[in-house]
Amino acid sequence: MAFILLIVAFALFYLYMYLGKQGKEIWVRTLPAMAAIPEAVGRCAEMGRPLYWTPGIAGNLNDSTQGPQVLASISILGYIARECVRAGVKIDAFCPIPDALPLVEETLRTAYLAEGRPEEFSKDMITFISGQSPYLTGTLGYFQRERPASTILIGGFYYESVVIGEAGNTIGAFQIGGTNNTHQMPFLIATCDYMLLAEELFAAGASISRDPDLLGSIKGEDILKFIFLGLMTVGFILGLGNVTFLIDLLRM
Amino acid sequence: MSEVYKRELVYLVTAVITVIMFVEYFFLGTWQLAETLRTYATIIANIALGLGAITLVVSHAKKIQRRAAGVWAFSAWLLIFLAISFLSGLAGWAMTGSGQGNPMYDWFFRYVYTPLGQTLYPITGFYIFSACYRAFRARNIDAALLLIAGCFVILTNAPVGGAIWGGFPIIGRWFLDYGQVPGMRTFLIVGAFGMLAYGFRALLGRERGFYGEVAGGE
Repeated sequence: MAFILLIVAFALFYLYMYLGKQGKEIWVRTLPAMAAIPEAVGRCAEMGRPLYWTPGIAGNLNDSTQGPQVLASISILGYIARECVRAGVKIDAFCPIPDALPLVEETLRTAYLAEGRPEEFSKDMITFISGQSPYLTGTLGYFQRERPASTILIGGFYYESVVIGEAGNTIGAFQIGGTNNTHQMPFLIATCDYMLLAEELFAAGASISRDPDLLGSIKGEDILKFIFLGLMTVGFILGLGNVTFLIDLLRM
Repeated sequence: MSEVYKRELVYLVTAVITVIMFVEYFFLGTWQLAETLRTYATIIANIALGLGAITLVVSHAKKIQRRAAGVWAFSAWLLIFLAISFLSGLAGWAMTGSGQGNPMYDWFFRYVYTPLGQTLYPITGFYIFSACYRAFRARNIDAALLLIAGCFVILTNAPVGGAIWGGFPIIGRWFLDYGQVPGMRTFLIVGAFGMLAYGFRALLGRERGFYGEVAGGE
């Protein structure tokens, strides 16, 4: 059953991507957190301070739940970096995940290259600190010394979300957060000015590009949500009558 | 190899590996090929760790060389301790023949690294407290409702709540079981959909941000 549902999901994504490619207008709401990125970069430019970015340290790229979040965060980093290069803002990327390090470096290098300023790219922009506690103390020290005007905390987070978020608040940074880890969402909501919640994190890259093909997959995702909402409603009603047919079917 | 071919190769490898993992999960249960690929992933991740260490040494050595204001002394400490832990691991291995679990390296891990980490962890409590203070300010109706629900949950978790009035734990548990759990599960489900759509785009080579391509470019 799971395989059938997966095929249905993929078929929906593909259908809407195809419709988008064929020119059908696909409307997807603007994500406030993504719309706020130019504001975050502008603030850094006005204050003459750097922008801090981190993907969290919840897991490596080969971790099935945390890896995609880190990849989504790196996708967003490309956009942030381009905005930073245009505005002449220094970006400080704190990457505590060793296997994500080459991707971060390549993304930043490409962003500088795409903006025609490859000579401004330096590996010094990327700080690698292994281990959760050293990563936290390193970040806290950096906040006190450099006082970044904006911080972007998007990716897979554990308890570092509240520590970095609160430390960012202490220095008055403009903060944009985002995670799919439900246990860390409240902390980021409490500490950040804008937030990418759950699937928004994965939709952000497609949302920025405004590519109808990519937006189509988000539309397909929305239709999938309605299908599951329908299934849940039917399951709830059947459950009231002690009919377990749907539950048994989904468990297969 | 041109940049275009390199990129296409990455998409192809991603797609092939994804298909192998799907076939294993849905049809075979376990497949030696998939198992081998997972082992490769672990090996590559460990190579990346070595790359990270090299980047770290180069970056901090540059900071020391430039006498970067305010940070070069920290960089020096970092390199000293990196050398100590590396040499202790190496010496321990030479003495015991074991790369892991040799006494010298263990001593550093158990009596230096772990206590320092444990010292940092409790400060989270203070950060949570100040974050709660900000979240619980009743600036509008939503924040006021959050404050009320939060108070009940606090009085449920704190033993004094039950001592004041037996109804506090009952109401608090209601908020936890019927308020929090469905909310969190909603995020879990939609998050899974998001991951699925992201994976699908990556599979088709349409999600290119992490390949080094930049979203939002003209």
